[in-house]
Amino acid sequence: MKYLFSALLIVVGYGMFGQTSQNFTFNKNEVIISKDISETKNIIVFNGEVTEEETSSSTPILGKIKEKENTVYFIPLVPFGWNQKYTVFYNHTIRYFSLPIPKDYESLKISKIFPSASRLPSNILKWYIKFSKPINKNNIYKYIRFVSDSGDTIPRAILPLENALISDDGTLLTIWVEPGRQKRNLIPNKQLGSVFSNNKKYQLVISKEIKDTNGVSMLEDFYKQFIIINADRNKPNIRNWQIKIPIADSMSDLLIYFEESIDYGSSIDNILILDDKGQSVKGDCTLLNEEKIFSFKPKKQWKKGKYEIYFDSAIEDLAGNNLNRLFDDEIHNTSKIITPSQNHKLEFIIK
Amino acid sequence: MKTLITLIITSILSFLVSQVQANPSLKKDFKIGDPGIASIHKMTFGPAGILFIGDSKAAQVVAIDFSEHPTLDNSKVKLDNLDKLISDMMGTTIDQIQITDMAVNPANNNIYLSINHSSGVPILLRVEDNVLKQVPLDNVSFSKTTLLDPISEEAKDKRGRKLRKWAVADIKYIDGKLLLSGLSNKEFASTFRSIDFPFGDTQDYSSLEIYHAAHGKYETHAPIKTFIPTTINGKSQVLAGYTCTPLVIFPMNKIKSGEHHKGRTVAELGSGNSPIDMIEIENEGNRYLLIANSNRALMKMDFKDLEAYQGSLTKPVVKKGAAEGVEYVNLPYVNVQQLDRMGDNGFIIIQRESSGNLALKTGNSWWVK
Repeated sequence: MKYLFSALLIVVGYGMFGQTSQNFTFNKNEVIISKDISETKNIIVFNGEVTEEETSSSTPILGKIKEKENTVYFIPLVPFGWNQKYTVFYNHTIRYFSLPIPKDYESLKISKIFPSASRLPSNILKWYIKFSKPINKNNIYKYIRFVSDSGDTIPRAILPLENALISDDGTLLTIWVEPGRQKRNLIPNKQLGSVFSNNKKYQLVISKEIKDTNGVSMLEDFYKQFIIINADRNKPNIRNWQIKIPIADSMSDLLIYFEESIDYGSSIDNILILDDKGQSVKGDCTLLNEEKIFSFKPKKQWKKGKYEIYFDSAIEDLAGNNLNRLFDDEIHNTSKIITPSQNHKLEFIIK
Repeated sequence: MKTLITLIITSILSFLVSQVQANPSLKKDFKIGDPGIASIHKMTFGPAGILFIGDSKAAQVVAIDFSEHPTLDNSKVKLDNLDKLISDMMGTTIDQIQITDMAVNPANNNIYLSINHSSGVPILLRVEDNVLKQVPLDNVSFSKTTLLDPISEEAKDKRGRKLRKWAVADIKYIDGKLLLSGLSNKEFASTFRSIDFPFGDTQDYSSLEIYHAAHGKYETHAPIKTFIPTTINGKSQVLAGYTCTPLVIFPMNKIKSGEHHKGRTVAELGSGNSPIDMIEIENEGNRYLLIANSNRALMKMDFKDLEAYQGSLTKPVVKKGAAEGVEYVNLPYVNVQQLDRMGDNGFIIIQRESSGNLALKTGNSWWVK
């Protein structure tokens, strides 16, 4: 509603059809015309500037007409866009309008990138981009690319999904680095090689042409630089993880030190802390220090007792190796029953 | 003799299908109202004019009764500058819309297009007399079921579901079952679901995976991009196209909950490409498979060749971009973005033509005779 821009347009008539002065209002979600100047209920709105001669051959915008007291409303199926021209046609009268972007409009930004580390394994599998507001997901992967140190865009680096993987709130985008190239011995890997090479520098580039759901672009391109190191071919092992146990009757954070950077998407909501009654401890989770530390801030003070931390087997490192299996998984049987998730848990006691 | 048996089986199947179509119990759970569709990613028609919509955003499948739409002759349909036309209808620019799928109701030849607008409003359009019309979705006869994963024992507070997205890659209906393939942002895994229709409480989850022809050592976990349920050598099979273009066959009766299967790779269609849509067309007793691709022409494969190919590709494809396995021919349609059957033995496409024009048009059925 902040940007529900409304404008009263006093139109000095063009002299057509004897109408010399009329007014109508419009905003992002409707065009409103006083009934006394709209003899019929029929209001037609077109995309762009359309002349009267062109109205019969032009495609009207989909929307609903509503009548209330002395006012007729045209409600478009999707909101009108900023900085776009529209034509309103009613009573043989043509009027034009557009909605300028509000001066205080906050442009789309990238607030976080995961992984945040600058040294990444060559078999890195996923990236997550956190935007400041919901994005236009249509054909979104074409705005994202990896660029080598020499400035060349790496072809076939990103899995181009028709339906982008975006969180429900529309702000977190998942990018798969082409798995067929990252996984050893697949045809794309054999023919094109891994996407990244050891000891080389790269940039993740997100074009400013990427738009929010209002159709407004970012102000500038986004760059994330990183250097590639050896591939990670080991499963994460929770037995090597260290716990910093919080103090009883405090609100201090429970910290879990991974021995490496952990994948954001598969870990942030997949670690569960249970008290000695088996009840889930409520709190907020964050990943710190290049996603090498999991921090859990409780909603209530810690009580003395025994606790268990459950880790979902789907938790992955940056190379897609999860707690149960390697991403490059060697299999010997042609068919097998999927093994149920193993319990991966650590215990700690607050004294 | 083989042809005769096939004909008899086909006749029996056709009879059974017509019985299902006449079965009003398919819609016994339907109610009138707003199904709350948040996105339309993939669509397919079942019997009795029921359109199934895969809605990844709301994690649901919705079945809508569109049997009352009039029977049309869309055999000469041709809509040019389709992207401009749709963006004009939305009052927006071309980059703000995406045509996510196209489905034809085999019972009455209505063509439906699903559109996602950047604002998130899902839109369904229908073609009538070469004109696009909006199909309102807020007051329809429908039933629906969830696509949310069952809550695991350890996730007692539903943790882990917030970020989990499951994007529907393809959806098909056969014999009282709705089949879905998809990809999660959590794991790179080929999940395949089978949901009974009318919708009940149970869903089967399978993991259909493949050995890539280049090796026999590592499983790929690649997601199925597009598939069709079909009959191969008299047996019910799923014919699946993967993102890196192997064509794989899975026996339908092996798709059981919790099981993991390795399919039989019958063709490599050349790397650097991804299949987009797949349909089966029957014409004068011959069956053909048509495959639309991201970076290859529309392919036609004869089911006779598919059925005759008993092996499984295991040797590496050495020549870059080369194809192996069951033979196919390239039809003169490139950049086909959407593909479906039209009428008894035709097909309809949305194609980016060499002039740049995005056209919705029928394919020439001469190619599948």
